[in-house]
Amino acid sequence: MVTFVVRRIALSIPILLLASVLVFFFVRETTDPLAKYAQNRDVSTKINAGLDIGMYQQPCRYVTSAAGGRAPVSCAKTSRIKQYTFWLSHFVKGDMGQSFTTNEAVSTKLARGFTNTLQLIVWGVLISALVAVAVGVYSAVRQYSVLDYTFTGLAFFGIAMPPFFFGLMAIQIFSYQFSVWFHLHNPLFFSIGLHGNHGPGFLAGLLDYSRHLVLPVATLTVQIIASWSRYQRASMLDVMNSDYIRTARAKGLSRATVVLKHGLRNALIPLVTVMAIDIGALFGGLLVTEQIFSIGGMGKIFIDALTSGDTNVLLPWLMISAVFIVLFNLLADVLYGTLDPRIRLA
Amino acid sequence: MRSRRSQGVLVGLCFLVVIAAACSSSKSSSTSGNSNTTSSSGVKKGGDLVFGAEQEPDTMDWINKNAGAAWGVYTAEALVMPRSFDFTDKNTYSPSPLLAGEPTLVTTPKQVITYKLNPKAVWSDNVPITCDDYKYTWDQIAHGTDIYDTTGYSDITGVDCPDPQTAVVNFDQPFPDWRDLFGGYYGVFPSHILQGKDRDAMMKDGFDFSGGPFMLAGGAAGWQKTVQVKLVPNPNYWGKKPNVNSLTFKFITDTAAEQQAFKSGQIAGAYPQAQPGQEALKTVPNVYFNAISGLSFEGLYMNAAKAPLDSKNVRQALAYATDRDAIVKQLFAPVQSDIKPIQSFATPAFGDAYSATAFAKYTLDQNMVTQLMTSDGWNRGGDGIWAKGPTKANIELKTTTGNKRRELTAQILQTQWKAAGFGLTITEEKASVLFGQDLPAGNFQVGLYAQTPQSNDPGNCVLWCSKNIPGPANQNSGENWTRTNDPAVDKAWLAADVDIDPATRAKDATDGEQALSDYMASLPLDPFPDILVFDSSKVGEEGGTIRHNFSFGPWVYAADMYAK
Repeated sequence: MVTFVVRRIALSIPILLLASVLVFFFVRETTDPLAKYAQNRDVSTKINAGLDIGMYQQPCRYVTSAAGGRAPVSCAKTSRIKQYTFWLSHFVKGDMGQSFTTNEAVSTKLARGFTNTLQLIVWGVLISALVAVAVGVYSAVRQYSVLDYTFTGLAFFGIAMPPFFFGLMAIQIFSYQFSVWFHLHNPLFFSIGLHGNHGPGFLAGLLDYSRHLVLPVATLTVQIIASWSRYQRASMLDVMNSDYIRTARAKGLSRATVVLKHGLRNALIPLVTVMAIDIGALFGGLLVTEQIFSIGGMGKIFIDALTSGDTNVLLPWLMISAVFIVLFNLLADVLYGTLDPRIRLA
Repeated sequence: MRSRRSQGVLVGLCFLVVIAAACSSSKSSSTSGNSNTTSSSGVKKGGDLVFGAEQEPDTMDWINKNAGAAWGVYTAEALVMPRSFDFTDKNTYSPSPLLAGEPTLVTTPKQVITYKLNPKAVWSDNVPITCDDYKYTWDQIAHGTDIYDTTGYSDITGVDCPDPQTAVVNFDQPFPDWRDLFGGYYGVFPSHILQGKDRDAMMKDGFDFSGGPFMLAGGAAGWQKTVQVKLVPNPNYWGKKPNVNSLTFKFITDTAAEQQAFKSGQIAGAYPQAQPGQEALKTVPNVYFNAISGLSFEGLYMNAAKAPLDSKNVRQALAYATDRDAIVKQLFAPVQSDIKPIQSFATPAFGDAYSATAFAKYTLDQNMVTQLMTSDGWNRGGDGIWAKGPTKANIELKTTTGNKRRELTAQILQTQWKAAGFGLTITEEKASVLFGQDLPAGNFQVGLYAQTPQSNDPGNCVLWCSKNIPGPANQNSGENWTRTNDPAVDKAWLAADVDIDPATRAKDATDGEQALSDYMASLPLDPFPDILVFDSSKVGEEGGTIRHNFSFGPWVYAADMYAK
């Protein structure tokens, strides 16, 4: 197992290097990082920003201002390859530079966004996994029952439901209409951010947090639960028709033992693979959910950076997303082997 | 069975707790108040107001290269930074409480302004606001690095301080918009705190000083990035004290989300951008919805150096092919029923500098289109599009992506121009590409974008004078992107940049608008409705009506607001 993991990590390095090349050249080809300063009458602003990201190289031509300060007015541009190596060498050392729109350290900005996104991911995945597995197992065990048909219908509804529409409908109903119907002073569930003003004490804070979390997590999970439950149902059906399950039943094992111990463990394997890949992609995603619920997570950071042409944020954001996708693919392979002893990772 | 029943009880309990929490406060979340007291005039003291903010400030170092965002001003700068002049709800300047009275203006031989400061004016740490602060502010803006805009400050040769309460500002050349200096989107900076320090590092993420009625709650902690800005009253403010205990601006950048947050009572008010669809908020119970034309407006900007728009006839023909009234009505009539197209590159809020006649002749007129195009050698082809030899009158319009108002405008134009014999393709670009690359480089034929002036100063040479066409002389930083190059235009707008007398400047501006109309550099379209949306059951303002302020936003009057 250790050998497998080490080998996979080693294999990930060229993949990430290739990703870094693609990310860098595509971003720089489509967005001029210094466009924001093109109209600034103080040319040194643009030059300084260009020097910071390695687009310009010393020596520059300087002028001395009336106040005595020296300001650069022109520098030679570096080649795209040199710009790439400049960026990569800083990135691997954790130096992501400063945001072009806020002057804030990009690492601080991403860390804050990551913290918010992580909360949505953890709760979303936890709830999705529990509900999807429960629904999938029930639908397989009680195949063609009324509830199976109901869950199937709901799953198709969930898969077809665009998150932005679901989110807005959820806000309309649970934030607004409930207040109208039941004459509530406050919305049942909030739709802005993850925290609000609340009374003192841990419980008040927890309740406030929960009321902020319900709608974004529901929006995030509606499609995931739908698709994961379908995977789980199909996988469980496959397993439950296997010979060894028949043997287990013939041995007189209880229904719960057959389903949960012998059936579920094997039926989880395909789902775990899908889950691991989906979770990796989710770290870079959540664009819609975070936008609708005004949560400053990774998705919102991406949208803001894209629209403002903030390449200093875009580049590390894309690389971190790539790292997560590679990481969770690796995790999927490892879990695959752990759940199924017949698979030997070497 | 017992287990199932207990699970059901647990779920029911959880639901009841949430319902109880939703019912618990006598006030909604947007006015989570406590200890309210009511004065004889009905104005309540205390309480907390929560509003929606459509954008987050990029920085709180108000002069840095990344400053200039209006929402930074609305949510913080206008309320925490002292300024020389207030821009009023009547669109005029008046001396702020920082000044002891109207400054003295001398124009000959050089412009000199003498500010007398209010002796009661102090920073939040009780240190007086003095001439040294004016001197420091000028020095930072005129001589600092990475400054957003040095206009006006770079014309100042020095600030003399005959006494702490007197600031004498000397200019090298006339600067008519002097009332916007030491104020506006910058304010006055505290020298006793910032002198000799890294100003940007100390201010960019929030700060603990104030010279206005409010201050950031807990200093920099008052700005929770991506979440909110929270302000509390400045205890040492010498002017009108705020009524509320706190003011919170929640960042809600999605229009639909902001509407829902207002409807559900999570915010007590908003200042939504002018977009079709905002009229949906008119039906919310207790809403105070008011829309009037503000300072900002949209226009069609034509590149006079790019064929076929290098022909004045073609530019004028396009103007006659445009039914501006239909565009404006379709965009904003549901929001503001009395809205009309503007007839100059200014709005009625510019007062005497607004020309109601300059572009009025450009109404939909197919005969004029035909006359102008045929006299320029164009003929309509079999496909209905004008052609001149191998050249077809196919125009590309560039605008920013993701803006519903502009998408709709472009689509209406496409239909109107096609009927008049012009093909129109629409290209949507990121704002950074459009404004940072294509417009400065002249890589466009027609641009659709807005002007968002910070005040109603009529000076507009920066946009129209030929010296500001991007080129080596201005290191490609000129903003005359339409490449307007006309002696009459130059004459009027250059005069507006040096004449100090307001009446003379207004005349310069209206002359300049007429010259622009004759040259047909571009075409003004819709004035943006300035929309206020407040919950009248939660927010009140002394004087009875919540006021517009086209420069600083409605919350510049937050000291007069109260939680009901």
